[in-house]
Amino acid sequence: MSHIYRQAKYPNHPLMEKHAEERKIENNPFPESIARKEAPKIPDIPEHEVVRHFNRLSQMNFGIDNGLYPLGSCTMKYNPKYTEDLAASEEVNDIHPYMHEDFIKGTLQIMYELQEMLAEIGGMHSVTLQPAAGAQGELTGLMIIDEYHKKNGESHRNEVILPDTAHGTNPATVSMLGYKLVEIPSKDGCVDLEALEEAANENTAGFMLTNPNTLGLFEEGVIEIAEIIHDVGGLLYYDGANLNAIMGKTKPGKMNFDIMHFNLHKTFSTPHGGGGPGAGPVGVTEELSSYLPVPIVKKEEEKYCLDYDLENTIGRVKGFYGNWSVLLKAYSYIIREGCDGLTDISERAVLNSNYLKARLEGTLDLPYRSLRKHEFVMSGNPLNEKGLKTVDLAKRLLDYGFHAPTVYFPLIVDEALMIEPTETERKETLDDFAEIIEEIMSEDPKMVKGAPYNTAVGRVDETKAARKPIISFRMKEER
Amino acid sequence: MDEEKEMLEYLGLDEVEELFRDIPSEVRDDIDIDEGKTEMETIKYVKDILSKNRSLDEFSNFLGAGIYRHYIPSAVKEIVGRSEFYTSYTPYQAEISQGMLQALFEYQSLICELTGMDAANTSMYDYPTAFAEAVLMAGRVGRGKEFLVPENIHWEKLEVLNNYLRGSDIKIKTVDYDEKTGKIDKDDLQEKLTDDNLGFYVESPNIFGVIEDDTSVFEDLKTDSKSIMIAGTSPLSLTLLEPPSEWGADIVVGDSQSLGIPPSFGGPTVGIFACKKRHLRRMPGRMIGETEDSDGNTAYCMTLQTREQHIRRERATSNICTNQSLMALASACYMFVKGGKGLEEVAKTNYEKAHKLAGKIDKIEGFSAPYFNSLYFNEFTVETPIDSEEVISKGIENNVLAGITLDDKFEKLDSSVLLSVTEMNDESDIDTLIETLEEVVQ
Repeated sequence: MSHIYRQAKYPNHPLMEKHAEERKIENNPFPESIARKEAPKIPDIPEHEVVRHFNRLSQMNFGIDNGLYPLGSCTMKYNPKYTEDLAASEEVNDIHPYMHEDFIKGTLQIMYELQEMLAEIGGMHSVTLQPAAGAQGELTGLMIIDEYHKKNGESHRNEVILPDTAHGTNPATVSMLGYKLVEIPSKDGCVDLEALEEAANENTAGFMLTNPNTLGLFEEGVIEIAEIIHDVGGLLYYDGANLNAIMGKTKPGKMNFDIMHFNLHKTFSTPHGGGGPGAGPVGVTEELSSYLPVPIVKKEEEKYCLDYDLENTIGRVKGFYGNWSVLLKAYSYIIREGCDGLTDISERAVLNSNYLKARLEGTLDLPYRSLRKHEFVMSGNPLNEKGLKTVDLAKRLLDYGFHAPTVYFPLIVDEALMIEPTETERKETLDDFAEIIEEIMSEDPKMVKGAPYNTAVGRVDETKAARKPIISFRMKEER
Repeated sequence: MDEEKEMLEYLGLDEVEELFRDIPSEVRDDIDIDEGKTEMETIKYVKDILSKNRSLDEFSNFLGAGIYRHYIPSAVKEIVGRSEFYTSYTPYQAEISQGMLQALFEYQSLICELTGMDAANTSMYDYPTAFAEAVLMAGRVGRGKEFLVPENIHWEKLEVLNNYLRGSDIKIKTVDYDEKTGKIDKDDLQEKLTDDNLGFYVESPNIFGVIEDDTSVFEDLKTDSKSIMIAGTSPLSLTLLEPPSEWGADIVVGDSQSLGIPPSFGGPTVGIFACKKRHLRRMPGRMIGETEDSDGNTAYCMTLQTREQHIRRERATSNICTNQSLMALASACYMFVKGGKGLEEVAKTNYEKAHKLAGKIDKIEGFSAPYFNSLYFNEFTVETPIDSEEVISKGIENNVLAGITLDDKFEKLDSSVLLSVTEMNDESDIDTLIETLEEVVQ
């Protein structure tokens, strides 16, 4: 096979251990009583050595620029380079949040236009760009729900309903804001309307859903779902993680959701940076627009300005105005793609997903009905007869230069593999991926169990890491 | 035949639209924005708008209050620009993510060296959210319900905290500041440490730029009241100042923006979050741990994940998932490129320039700098003889960004501005500011 992958291996080359001898600080301008005695143990190394160190580390890291990254619900599409170019400019980086509005006209215009375009894409009335990530968007959304019910004299509403397919951030957000979580089981992979009806009552503050859901199934009962929740006075929250499936086809607002977040680092292709920064703008209906965090950007005649004057605002959720350079990248991406491009993106994402799913049926199990949106979840149960598990398949894929899918999620599927190829992959890559999975199924199970072999390190002992945690160089030294 | 047709044929379909047949007609809608552009047109379009901005480079800049303009070595930008780093996702698959994992472990280690704490996470969104999460964590670690916060903290931080506490039974009580020193009023703090106390927050340098000395008092108060101490700090100042671990802090928060990250309108930055070993399992956010691979080689992985939302769901310590990892990488690169001695030099330069400027301002009639009779690092409050707004406006006429007004945010203050100085401010910046302030009183 032409797909054998080799990642660079540079064994053991820590920088921290190169720190100098313990060093006293000389000529410290601060008085003795408060001055630091020992200098922090930060090594002094020539710059070129530092650059070599990090270049080696980069060679031991796998990004979307290295190969297929079919992590379900993460939308790891190619990140076009023009957005990086634009974001590197002085007009983006060298501006201060407390500069006079006359000096940041460009930024305010872009933020305003992004608010407007996102509102249109989501079918919402107004948008805040402040939240730093999807999970913070969820937090913002539930804060708005909290404030809305309080203003309406209904602060007794203390329950939030979630389907059991929800992303982990949803239940975590619910508890973080002190709500009682009511989780309802799915029926055929979708929201069970009867169970929802039973769960919804006068204590329901809201319901959170991603549509298509985490199985990649479109919740066809969405209209009924909205009715059930609205009838008891609750609000509907749309988790935007899976928006890449539906652009130009439907909108959360059209599906009667009241609040939603956008993951700009997913749908709008801002790079994920190995774990962030992202951006999680939140959109709301007209009724809720006065509850958004402040400031938002408004346009008065031809002038853009920061507006702090929202009647019911929840106040801030983050310092300053959001992850601005991430916002700029997403803005540029939307300008480049336009309405036609965004629609094409969703169409191709869904086509790629259904094609790859069809290619893999027969090799892995596919629970629930067939038609999927941008992602699908298969079960690794056929691995069991070889004495293997999903994790083994995932690790062996790494040897072939593919990032593994999301594994063991959603929880309602046994040995789950959640696969999202995104629109930017060619048919040939999808074919390769399917063929490699078939190949792995026919490989010696013992060998597969020991995978990976071609990566910088072998299978990593995560249990040991958690049992005796070493979180810093200083904890290691104390050992 | 093009590949889309081939795929459709494989699926037995004629049109891609058939894949959307499960979306009910009553929710169908298309997008009403402009059509797309070429890459070349996009670049021109966006650049034209961006050109309406004026960068800090065009001014004599003294803005701070949480965002600082320091020099960033080219090597830092180069490293962060490696696409193996910036196009990777959260390092769930440790074996092919060793690069990012090790870099983040090093970032955690560097933060621990500066703060004196045992463990740090890979980042929170920023300083205000790190602070809010720290108070929530105190609630998991401590006993009481009342948390004390000095009244002189950044107003945005307080707003974020109040929002994060919506679902919590923790009650915030404010502690006065000493109007002469700008430090926390220790008598008031002591008085308010009641039986129901959960913990208290101390910040140094604080929003007035003031540094707390006499820090041993905090440890005593903490021990006596059995409460949790959260310390807020500026990481660069810690190359010269005793680390918060010495004052007995349980949790340290701050922002690494001053270490290798441009101002970029206030985001993205990196919220620092560090704590003592004993609280490790109550921490929010992501942590990288050192371990071994199957051959016994040193390896890194995300660890203690059973605290996190993707495993623990509603029982997670926080809902945070995506954080600011790439910015943490930038900070680690910055610290390594500068080195321990280099960082110390930057800090000393900042200190000297700020103190020199304050001395010059203090000589101008009517101005008083620093406003508070206390130690400070590279940021300080200035009392102005005329309305602080007018000082800022006068500055703008002369291309000087003369800080931000403070008296509109803290009512006990007389007319005053907050100025920040870094190594980027040269002699001419300082001269221009001094001339501006002299014009003000003429």
